[in-house]
Amino acid sequence: MNCETARQQIVLLIYGELSFEEEEILESHLDACVECNQERARLEKLSSFADLAESEVPAGLLARCRRDLTAALEQERRRPSLSSIFRGFWQKWFVNPPMWMRPAGALAMLAVGFFGARLLPDQSSALSQIGVSQGPPPTISKVRLVNPDNSGQVLVHYDEVRPRELRGNINDDRIRRLLLAAAADPADPGLRVDSIDILKSQTSDNEVRHALLNVLRADTNSGVRLKALDALRPYAKDPDTRKTLAQVLLSDDNPAVRTQAIDLLVQSKEPDVAGVLQQLLQNEENGYVRSRSQKALNDMKASVGTF
Amino acid sequence: MKTGATLALDHGPCRAVGQNLGMDEAALIRAAQAGDQDAFERLVRDYDQSVLRLAMNLLRSPEDAHDVYQEAFLRVYRNLPSFRFDCNFNTWLYRIVTNLCLDHLRKRKVRKTESSVVETEEGSIDRMDSVPEQRASSDPQRALLSSELRTRIQQVLAGMTPRERLVFELRHFQGMRLRAIGETLGTTEEAAKNCLFRATQKMRSALGEFV
Ligand SMILES: [Zn+2]
Repeated sequence: MNCETARQQIVLLIYGELSFEEEEILESHLDACVECNQERARLEKLSSFADLAESEVPAGLLARCRRDLTAALEQERRRPSLSSIFRGFWQKWFVNPPMWMRPAGALAMLAVGFFGARLLPDQSSALSQIGVSQGPPPTISKVRLVNPDNSGQVLVHYDEVRPRELRGNINDDRIRRLLLAAAADPADPGLRVDSIDILKSQTSDNEVRHALLNVLRADTNSGVRLKALDALRPYAKDPDTRKTLAQVLLSDDNPAVRTQAIDLLVQSKEPDVAGVLQQLLQNEENGYVRSRSQKALNDMKASVGTF
Repeated sequence: MKTGATLALDHGPCRAVGQNLGMDEAALIRAAQAGDQDAFERLVRDYDQSVLRLAMNLLRSPEDAHDVYQEAFLRVYRNLPSFRFDCNFNTWLYRIVTNLCLDHLRKRKVRKTESSVVETEEGSIDRMDSVPEQRASSDPQRALLSSELRTRIQQVLAGMTPRERLVFELRHFQGMRLRAIGETLGTTEEAAKNCLFRATQKMRSALGEFV
């Protein structure tokens, strides 16, 4: 092997891209050739320099990307498509049957009912599983997939929605499950806030707490996240809650949420809180949040600069 | 230095689980193709950290990285139904991401010749410099690195062609193998090797005095 070939292969050696045989041949050249061996040392050092130029992902960027993506996907799903045409069709026929059908009265409606029942079997919705009584007929909320086959038939996957109502005690499992669903309804932040407000009294339930932690981590609306944070207040010492709070503290883009997270974390008086606060101070740009965490650290008599 | 030890992409713990249960990802993709939103979200979460890191590193701008993230996963969402498993999902996704990054890098090159983008780039460097005491404590190595050396590295990276930059990025920071890089960029392993070699040469000649 000559020096020129060796120089070309040193890079590949450093990156572990040589075959066993190639590596053997190169290594024996490097053993014998001082200059090429020095070149290897230089390239290794260069490579470690490059490591230092790696840019950090700013705190909160990942969370912001995820939220914006959720919103963009939501919009994508709502784009006018086949589904809206279907929705129009079903609403027209179920809610406002055309005039020519009305004189036939019950019989015509029965026919529509039969037609509807055959085409729209009641099997999917969570509501039917929990035994809410029958209400108005369903409408199609979204067509997810249309798939023609060779025989000329088309397979259609769709979602249907059926407006219904249920009244009950908050301890009723069905009510609770509806509230949990509402707390995650992407369409309506107001509904989410109201639901969380009611669920606040149910945080001893694991499922409720879990749902609130999810809201705190991922809800796109900071008001809703604050509400969830507030609801979790009595569980500041619960390990899962603390884990999420630490995560939120380091990634949430809303200073008010971060401030609240600090307050709640500090309440628990656990020693690992100091580490989280120190980590926060590395990147925190908001002056108020900084001073708040600095004060918390001072109160804990932890040194701000060491960890 | 991140080299040989990494066999494929480093995707963090989530991804590691997915790799152990290779079937799981295919099932996840099929579910997402059938319209399962949770499955799609899980797929995103398996990859989005390394996608963001890649975009951030290549473009060095949180806003651009954010745009690439959004656009990439929206494209994945729109085109997933036509994904036919004839390549790795991983390769397919990175093809989308790297194409978007290349577009950004090329646009930037054009802008650069038209006006002085240097200002914006220096702006982002200044931003980093404005918090020196935080950096120093978060990573002592960074403090040791003289600002001159750091600026020089930024310049070398900016002086690479978009392709060289991409290959260097994928091999050095993302730990991707050259063969996979070739596949992702729609070229050969040999071409990827050459790009890596040229990229390293540029580093070598610009930073020679430091080593
Ligand atoms: Zn030699």
